[in-house]
Amino acid sequence: MRRAVVLSLAILAIIGGGCKKKPLSANLNAENKVQVRPVTLFFEGPEMLLVRETRNVALPENPAGALSIVARELLKGSANAGVPHIFPRDTVVRATFLLPDGTAFVDLGGPTLAQGWGTGSHEELMAVYSVVQTVTTNFPDAKRVRILVNDEPAETLAGHVNLSRALLPSATYVSR
Amino acid sequence: MTRSFSLLAIAFASALLLLAQAPTPAPPNPANQATLRAPNGDKSITIAHQNGQIYFAADEVVAALGGSVTRDGNGFKASLNNTVAAFGTDSRFGVVKDDLIEMPMAPVTIDNRPFVPWQFFQGFLMRSSALDATWDAAGKILQIHPAQTTAAAVTVSVANVQGISKVVLTLTAPADYNIVKEPGAYTVRFKTAIRAPYVEQAHDDPNVAKTSFIGNDLRIQLTAPDVVADAYRLDNPFRVVLDLRKGASVAPGTPQPLNSTRPVESPGIHTIVIDPGHGGKEVGAIGPGGLMEKDATLALCQRLAAALEAKLKTRVVLTRNDDSVVPLDQRTAIANQYHADLFLSIHMNAAIVKGAHGAETYFLSLDASDKLAEKAAELENASKGPAGPAASSDLKLMLWDLAQQEYLNESSRLAQAVQEEMNRITGIQSRGVKQAPFKVLVGATMPAALVEVAFITNPDEESKIKSDAFQETVVDALTTAVERYKTDYETRIGIAQPAPAVAPTTTAPTVPATTTTKPATRTGT
Repeated sequence: MRRAVVLSLAILAIIGGGCKKKPLSANLNAENKVQVRPVTLFFEGPEMLLVRETRNVALPENPAGALSIVARELLKGSANAGVPHIFPRDTVVRATFLLPDGTAFVDLGGPTLAQGWGTGSHEELMAVYSVVQTVTTNFPDAKRVRILVNDEPAETLAGHVNLSRALLPSATYVSR
Repeated sequence: MTRSFSLLAIAFASALLLLAQAPTPAPPNPANQATLRAPNGDKSITIAHQNGQIYFAADEVVAALGGSVTRDGNGFKASLNNTVAAFGTDSRFGVVKDDLIEMPMAPVTIDNRPFVPWQFFQGFLMRSSALDATWDAAGKILQIHPAQTTAAAVTVSVANVQGISKVVLTLTAPADYNIVKEPGAYTVRFKTAIRAPYVEQAHDDPNVAKTSFIGNDLRIQLTAPDVVADAYRLDNPFRVVLDLRKGASVAPGTPQPLNSTRPVESPGIHTIVIDPGHGGKEVGAIGPGGLMEKDATLALCQRLAAALEAKLKTRVVLTRNDDSVVPLDQRTAIANQYHADLFLSIHMNAAIVKGAHGAETYFLSLDASDKLAEKAAELENASKGPAGPAASSDLKLMLWDLAQQEYLNESSRLAQAVQEEMNRITGIQSRGVKQAPFKVLVGATMPAALVEVAFITNPDEESKIKSDAFQETVVDALTTAVERYKTDYETRIGIAQPAPAVAPTTTAPTVPATTTTKPATRTGT
């Protein structure tokens, strides 16, 4: 499963212009067609369901490069200070990768997830599906999401939600 | 113009000087050479030794077969016959055609060139050119040959449930075999060609130390000489199964002894497995007052087990009866091992939203992954084959992630009964019956539900959870729910009389009638 890391690093390197011994371009943003684009992020609302929040983020045109940026934007939390963080605050997005078959890999890390996150099933469901909904909503090519933890397949994040397979988006967890 | 010419001349002279000063390439070290035996002839290739492992120059091998290897960002890209494999030095997995190439160790870079284990070529060539690779370490020959498409591919799984290690060899086609007992090992000798998934693999298992393939033989190295096996085969798909355990062998087909008396097999609800969520270092959620979910669930489940045994006269098994870690798969495996008729996992909920309260009951959702739907179709097709009931039963066990599928309707009924009783008796606000892809429910071959009793993160509910009175109230609710489900189920299958209708109410909570002082002794946990 570490291929996700390997390949996403490779893709990021390409996007970053660091490969093929190209000189760093002063016009990197233009080369990668970086534009400020609206993204939809999912956070837990007061009704204990996921609610949408739209935010403008500078993204490259290539989904493979944009995926990591959007996932990291999600982990920053809501712009509304009253909306609490779903994930432990030390959670990071280590890498992302989008396979041609429509499976997006999101590799999460951080001390809490590594040591075992102590939370209940509701919070774990909210955390997992905030990632699944955010990725599949913003990237139409991503049909399902597989979450890894620290570069490895994970059984669960906190002892409940099965992460051994890619998850499809589900309206069950989203506020209408 | 003249200046440009001068600069060019200087550059050319400098280049010549550098070339003159460059060290003469060292002659190839025979220790670092091997023979590539490909369909288009033999060729010498560079190999490297690191940490006792042998690596092969990927660029030389792939080029010899007509392809190329180039750098690709931080990794490498191998191309052959319009097939591209990506690999890197920090992973033992490569990617080709949306599939994985598994290597025993990650590739390395030497002098900026990629060196890979020989298994890389096995995986890459199979997908790019219907070729296969084998490494003859004695002759130092990397042989590239047409893939034996007629050879059955073998996958190996090793799982331990309550001291019995189940080694399952799944083949893509039936194959004759015999099994040879050797000191400290069993060898499965296939009489036809097989394609091995690996050369050798260590296992973290109490009975199986490692498995290794030599030709068409699979050698199962045991952890102790007194480990014995019962073996049998299953069809659809073709499998060879060895049940390994310490102690004297029993005749094939003899049921494995359990630590408790198994009731006579008959329709109805006889055995209930109760699963206290979390345990050991997996503490679960923690309340603001410091109450740990693992402690709350254990205390509640011990009371519940006693109540169920007393009221329903059923056998009750706890998946843990102390503060120990029990893997999620193991919990349902225990239920399957005991041929349980119901599985109930008990948890305490957590939420970041302040004031969250109430009970929730879940049963499994299988539509979380479309890959599961594909596997469901495979299962259905396989079940239509000639396999008998025994094989069919085992097929369910092997397709672990689909085991719960055929019980979803019953699980839904169980969850509904639990949620209604939680609402009716405890007076807790209903958060409803829900479906979720919970790992602990996946492999259960019986109706199964997960109850989130209350929000431990809510200070009020945390206080309640600590109290004996509340625990007894919840135990009463859950016992009534199981009793309701039992009566309903046994009525539907014709072995019980319908219970008098009880109109659901939303009246005040019922005070528990009794207090269990000491949980009954459990076995097999």
